[in-house]
Amino acid sequence: MKAGTDWALSDAVLGLADDEMILAQRISEWTGHAPILEEDIAFANLALDELGHAQLWYGLVADLRQEHREEYPDRLVFQRPPADYRNVQLVELPCGDWAFTMLRQYLFDALERVRLKALVKGGEARLRPVAAKIEREEAYHLRHTSAWVLRLGLGTEESRRRMQSALVAIWPYTGQLFGALPGEEPEKALPAAIPLREEWEDLVLPHLAAAGLEIRLESAPVSAGRDLHTSHLEPLLNEMQQVARLAPEAKW
Amino acid sequence: VTGTEWPAYQVFKQDRADAPHENVGTVHAPDAEMALMNARDVFVRRPECISLWVAPESDITSRTAEELNAGLLQPPAPAGVGESYQVFKKVHQRGSHVHAGTMQAVSAVEALRRAREAFADPPGLVWWVVPERSLARTERGDTPELFEGARDKLYRDQAFYFPDMLLRQLRKEQSATRGMPRGRKGGV
Repeated sequence: MKAGTDWALSDAVLGLADDEMILAQRISEWTGHAPILEEDIAFANLALDELGHAQLWYGLVADLRQEHREEYPDRLVFQRPPADYRNVQLVELPCGDWAFTMLRQYLFDALERVRLKALVKGGEARLRPVAAKIEREEAYHLRHTSAWVLRLGLGTEESRRRMQSALVAIWPYTGQLFGALPGEEPEKALPAAIPLREEWEDLVLPHLAAAGLEIRLESAPVSAGRDLHTSHLEPLLNEMQQVARLAPEAKW
Repeated sequence: VTGTEWPAYQVFKQDRADAPHENVGTVHAPDAEMALMNARDVFVRRPECISLWVAPESDITSRTAEELNAGLLQPPAPAGVGESYQVFKKVHQRGSHVHAGTMQAVSAVEALRRAREAFADPPGLVWWVVPERSLARTERGDTPELFEGARDKLYRDQAFYFPDMLLRQLRKEQSATRGMPRGRKGGV
């Protein structure tokens, strides 16, 4: 191990990076298929933003591990098997319908709001500037997805029904969002990890209620660590890593 | 419009404090708030922008200079204080509608007639008026969320990327590792 390499911290940051990366890859599936052209553009941009955020976090992982800032993130993204990914399961779930996609995005954006705020305020010194940069873009994401959740929840009978079943399907996965980040010293990265759930609930519960949606826990909450994945991650990575596997040493 | 389509909104974008709002195109949206967000996503991803206005297309009264000259606007002047209208005009055939000013009038048609006199120079080819109450605007407080994200983003034209060159390079490297193609064996 190189001297000065901060593995414990870099593992925690890897969790943040993987959340953004897998969500970016997942929601980019909507590109060309969103319900209307305007939203197609908006949602593709949102996916690109998440990809940009992943890139920022992976860059920090590279710094902390004293690796190359450009090449190392590519290796992390394109050469790791599913078991080595450290994202939460929520982001790897298939897109489902538009209601599922939008609700998942909203709940994740709300998580980002409280998590980034905590990172900017009390995160490890090297994480703070990255979090501040991401926070600004995420503010718009949350505004956009909040508006959609309200309109789908209060829209037609069909949109309400789809939103309600999406909420029932998604809610158990929120159990994993506030578990510790990976690594040996996650509390060093983000000291306030645990009280975040309350802050997140203060944000999302009134909004979901205003959208006419009801929390019903119909299956056990997911409390697995970030090293356990659903069967959905592997096909996602197969597609994402397809070209890289053909020519692993190619320079782009 | 089939009845299931969302209404169209005209979008007006302001790039600098000393420049007027200018029409940049349309978006479809279920309501004004979503129209502003769609306008931001479609038209403000990269370039500078400090303010957006949207107005439902159906609330815009439009007349060409020819129509105005033909005297199609000769309403009986109704009484009353009326309301405020925003006036836009297109000066060049290939230009877009640019904000000309505000006009108080008792009807859209009256606003058009008066705007044409008040904002005569340069002459407009096509005039739009929209009641102030139909217009939704971004506010100063929206700036960080809506516009600042785009500011430090590098705009890359597609010419920035060289996929052809990269693919050719990749094929060359692959054929090098698998041995030279048959036809060129031994040659040079």
